[in-house]
Amino acid sequence: MSGPVLQVDGLVAGYEPGVPIVRGASIRVERGEIVVVLGPNGAGKSSFIKAIAGLVPVSAGKVLLDGTDITAVPAHRMVRMGLAFVPQTENIFPLMSVDDNLKTAGGILKSKEAAERIARMYDTFPDLRTFRRTAAGNLSGGQRQMLAVARALIVEPKLLVLDEPSAGLSPKLVSMVFSMLSDIRKAGVTILLVEQNARAALAIGDRAYVLVEGREAHEGVASELWNDPVVAELYLGQRPQPSTGGAA
Amino acid sequence: MNLQFVVDGLLTGSMIGLGAIGVTLTYAILRFSNFAHGDFMAWGTYATLAVVGAIGAMVGKVAPLGPFSFGWPLLVALAVGCALTGLLALALDAVLFSRLRARGQSIIVVMASFGASMALRSLLEFIFTSRPTYFSRAIQIAMPVGFGIRITPDQIALLVLTAVLVAATHLLMTRTQTGRSMQAVSQNPALARVVGIDVARVVRATWMLGAALACVAGTMVGILVQIRPLMGFDMLLPMFAAAILGGIGSVPGAVLGGLIIGLAEAAAVQFVGAEWRAAVSFVILMAVLFVRPIGLFGVKER
Repeated sequence: MSGPVLQVDGLVAGYEPGVPIVRGASIRVERGEIVVVLGPNGAGKSSFIKAIAGLVPVSAGKVLLDGTDITAVPAHRMVRMGLAFVPQTENIFPLMSVDDNLKTAGGILKSKEAAERIARMYDTFPDLRTFRRTAAGNLSGGQRQMLAVARALIVEPKLLVLDEPSAGLSPKLVSMVFSMLSDIRKAGVTILLVEQNARAALAIGDRAYVLVEGREAHEGVASELWNDPVVAELYLGQRPQPSTGGAA
Repeated sequence: MNLQFVVDGLLTGSMIGLGAIGVTLTYAILRFSNFAHGDFMAWGTYATLAVVGAIGAMVGKVAPLGPFSFGWPLLVALAVGCALTGLLALALDAVLFSRLRARGQSIIVVMASFGASMALRSLLEFIFTSRPTYFSRAIQIAMPVGFGIRITPDQIALLVLTAVLVAATHLLMTRTQTGRSMQAVSQNPALARVVGIDVARVVRATWMLGAALACVAGTMVGILVQIRPLMGFDMLLPMFAAAILGGIGSVPGAVLGGLIIGLAEAAAVQFVGAEWRAAVSFVILMAVLFVRPIGLFGVKER
């Protein structure tokens, strides 16, 4: 069981048959890593990650999770396989309380186990305990993202997959979310994330892939990738602005 | 003042409310107005009637329970009828609604439910004729309970049954994993799949629950009024008005909406004139849509 947690080989996927958005992408995520997928707008990053999570139909290629082929596993079985996905937007149930959001996610567990893990999540994210009876739709942007991540972690996934966790957040919240992800990795969770905010993502990532036109065009160590001229060229066709801020 | 209309209104309102639960859940979870829901009610009632007849043929005449007009065969038949109505809804979903839903245009599903409604109704008339029939022809004596109100034992039993079913449904929706899954699918079907909810299972649970409650509501109408193939269709407008008044997706809202409409109908009969009864649902529906389209317990979509 020392192989990669996730191995994606030549993935071809798209919403309509014959119109692939992902065109033969391959990546690998080792145990305990944070791997970042970057790419210009329209590169198919989001579709790629959704295809891995079973939300976009796959027409060719393979997805292996811990050596098990999960390519054809329907989306609702993915959490049972050990892959937890956090969508970019609308990643909580807005009319349910925080507590019910977590209970709903814990539905695949035995109820005693679910209760224990929910209690543990409240220890990890004390803000959520404070607002446990609040409708999730009334939470702030940062708290929502916290809830979305806590919800995904309840199943103790082998791999946590996030689609642009910084989207729509203020710079301060972006750094909060990324330091939260960094802490989660320290706790032993393997993470794959897609990001627009290259600077923030590369700061916490171990390795990164740059996706261009639906396939990986470049791979490298996260800290080095930032200064790689090839990446600068591929990524938006220019070097990202050095200033911090929202979307890079 | 004669307060009899309160009891009449609560009874009518109970039937409307139980039916409206199915309407509101179908709308919130399957995202379409099911115009065949009234016909589930009628089919459920006829199924119950048929099972009562079958039990009668097997064990002979059974004495009624205590002061009620019905015996144990009706209770058994009602349970069987609920299951059969659920199966009818599942079958209809499998052959018709699920295929159209997959195409993503809810108006087509609504139209299909109109067609299904007509077909179901005609089938009932074909099998059972359109002549009204009854569970029992026994006459019950209404007991005076003060304030000029008279109530029969059957009516008391059915009001209690409604209260129990509404409480049970509310607990199911808010305290169980099945209920949370139903809420989850109604709020965000894509996210529901991501958190591991089998949407197809939730859809089946929704049909079963809505259809079973429709069967109970229909059987109540059958016990208190009469059984006709059109009985469900005639309640369609009040049921929709109740679901919208209560706020789409809200079980307590649907029931409260049903009670309000039932009471308003009964009050209209007593104070305005019986010919205005049918207009009540329509007026309330219009008023809600103009004044508060999200209903009493509704929540604005973000």
